[in-house]
Amino acid sequence: MKEWIVIVLAGIGLASSLTAAVGILRMPDVYSRIQSSSKSITMGALPALVALVVGEGAITAYGGRALLITFLLLVVNPAASHALARAAYKSGVPMWSGAVRDEPKEKR
Amino acid sequence: MTDIYAGIALAELAIAALLLIRLGTGPTISDRIVALNAIAAQATLALVFFAAAADRTIYLDVGLWLASFSYLGTIVWARYLERGLL
Repeated sequence: MKEWIVIVLAGIGLASSLTAAVGILRMPDVYSRIQSSSKSITMGALPALVALVVGEGAITAYGGRALLITFLLLVVNPAASHALARAAYKSGVPMWSGAVRDEPKEKR
Repeated sequence: MTDIYAGIALAELAIAALLLIRLGTGPTISDRIVALNAIAAQATLALVFFAAAADRTIYLDVGLWLASFSYLGTIVWARYLERGLL
């Protein structure tokens, strides 16, 4: 029973991570890739780590550190993605030719 | 149970290998940094699951370190792209 819960949770996480990898490979410009990376990588990491917590128990060394890594990834990954997107925009990386809105430019 | 953990670790590593393509061919520096950030997250997961599969607690600390400090590289690169050196 526990093994099946671990397999299902890790499968959800791996599917999300695979989606992120395909998105990073196939998206047309940097901003879409950052969007794909930040959300799907975080959502791929959480179920996999929860699977480890379920499999090993929350009080053990594995479960506790998995919870800590979950918290760190939740805090750190969006912050890094935001900083990177901002830096890419300010350093003038062009958008995809099919992009329709450029709000910071319109406001200036 | 250890077989399941080893399989999950290998799958995460396979996803990281997919991301290596973008790391090699990204047209701008930002593309490469995005790929590197994602690879760091996948490597953290693979390390944690490898620690559970091999029953070696020491690798958990390596994964924890990687999760807490890999974003510093991204932040430093973003700052460099935005303002140049210093």
